[in-house]
Amino acid sequence: MKKTWKDHISMSARYILMLFICLIALLPFYVLMFVAFNDKSRPLSAGVFSLPDFTFDNIITAWNSGGMASAIANSVIITVCGLVVVVILGASAGYAIARFPNKFHKAIFTMFLCCMMVPGIINTIPLYVIMRDINGINKLWSMILLLSANRLPFCIFLYTSFVQAMSPDIEHAAIIDGCTPFSAFWRITFLLMKPINSTVIITSCIGFWNNYNQAVFFLQRRSVYTIPLAMATFYREFTTEWNLVAAAAFMGALPIIIVFLSLQKYFIKGLAEGAVKG
Amino acid sequence: MAVPALLLFVMFFIYPLTQGIGLSLTDWDGFSPSKNFIGLANFQRFFTDKRAVAAVQHSIQYGFIVPIGMNILGFIYALLLDQKLVGKNVARVVVYLPAIVSSLIIGYIWKIVLFTDGGALKDIMTFLGVGHLFRSWLSYPQEAMWVVIIINIWQHAGSVMIIYLAGMQSIPQELFESSTIDGANYWQNLFNITMPLLIPAIKINVITNLINSLAVYDSIVALTEGGPGYATESVSMLIYRLSYGSHTGYATAIALILLVIIMIPTLFVFSALNKKSVEI
Repeated sequence: MKKTWKDHISMSARYILMLFICLIALLPFYVLMFVAFNDKSRPLSAGVFSLPDFTFDNIITAWNSGGMASAIANSVIITVCGLVVVVILGASAGYAIARFPNKFHKAIFTMFLCCMMVPGIINTIPLYVIMRDINGINKLWSMILLLSANRLPFCIFLYTSFVQAMSPDIEHAAIIDGCTPFSAFWRITFLLMKPINSTVIITSCIGFWNNYNQAVFFLQRRSVYTIPLAMATFYREFTTEWNLVAAAAFMGALPIIIVFLSLQKYFIKGLAEGAVKG
Repeated sequence: MAVPALLLFVMFFIYPLTQGIGLSLTDWDGFSPSKNFIGLANFQRFFTDKRAVAAVQHSIQYGFIVPIGMNILGFIYALLLDQKLVGKNVARVVVYLPAIVSSLIIGYIWKIVLFTDGGALKDIMTFLGVGHLFRSWLSYPQEAMWVVIIINIWQHAGSVMIIYLAGMQSIPQELFESSTIDGANYWQNLFNITMPLLIPAIKINVITNLINSLAVYDSIVALTEGGPGYATESVSMLIYRLSYGSHTGYATAIALILLVIIMIPTLFVFSALNKKSVEI
């Protein structure tokens, strides 16, 4: 088929549109970097179409006064530990529910499904009372358990549908060879769960890393602040100094952007997989 | 083997949920030992509380417009980036990028863009010759909510797109080929093949967006902190503020009302889309 001028126009229109939506997505990040790397003396209105001053003063000042280092450390601890908890508990629960569909398992699966509709914010106030009783306020461990618990329904849902679609033959063979169902799970099934593990890890990672709704309630001391909390506090202290706010926001956004860009293949695939499974 | 997960979930989710129902029937202030049973008084108070009713209106406005806008935009993005274009994979990553960053930080970034006098947007609008239209929208009650809504649609359109793309790629190409041979054009294919087969993806997108948007909190905090006045205060925001302000029992009652507000449209959309879903 020969391409007509109409095809050419519609093709170029698509490329222009694609370029346009990319520009819209990137524009605020460009402005952020422009302001973050500009000298304080330069007014913000000095034209975003010119080059910034490439000064690192704002970044250094924001780093030193924002508690960013400890915030990044806390965010890493909460995210990594939370991921370990949801993968281990979610995978074993999903396996049990999928492989042994008795009344008990069916009931808890229904419960998890229903709770997917309940956003964590509903529970926050009564949780505060519980947290106080178990001495969990301003503690990273309680935050890890809370965020994992909120995340569990979705992860168990993913794991259950994944195991249901898997053939049980290999496990049966292992059990005949003398494995208990428990060790057959960890030694065989779990190793075959890689695709769904990456989906669970990626979707949960974004949620844990960016969590603010629960953190703002249960982490009220600077020493346990996560990145979003440090950012919000920084903004309250330096509201008028936009260069510093931009520098702090830049540092707050950078770690997850670096992780995302370096693993983007897995991210996009993992997110898509989760959707198709659901 | 499901027991450890169940224990954790009961401890941090089910137990507080049931406790919340009890708390909502009291006048507890959050710290004093006295906790009096007052029946449904908190729920009655809600209907006469202008600030709370306004917060519900804001959450509903936000909670319905954001999912609709996000799904329309995300769907258009997916249609575009599903085509054979050089660089579409890069474009997918770029469009998804804002969704990866915390809504709170995105809010601060946009505040810098929109900032009253010297913000970058004013520059850009002047460059495009429409500088006189610039206003500091976040300081006007009516416009502020729309700014928050538009920014959120912008931020999450990419994640909606990823799910639609996955759905589109799972549709067998032969369907399009045979219908094209039968004389169907692009739009007929879109409405008669793509859309019906995307119902599962639409279901996931709309339901998760609906739940998250009706419970919106952090996206608003950074941009307006509920202001100007209470013009953009969402229900979640009101719950947190009341609980800090020693209205704990009342705040728990509002949380349960929010749960009902979320469940009704969610169940409705769920059953409506279930009826429409088709199998190949």
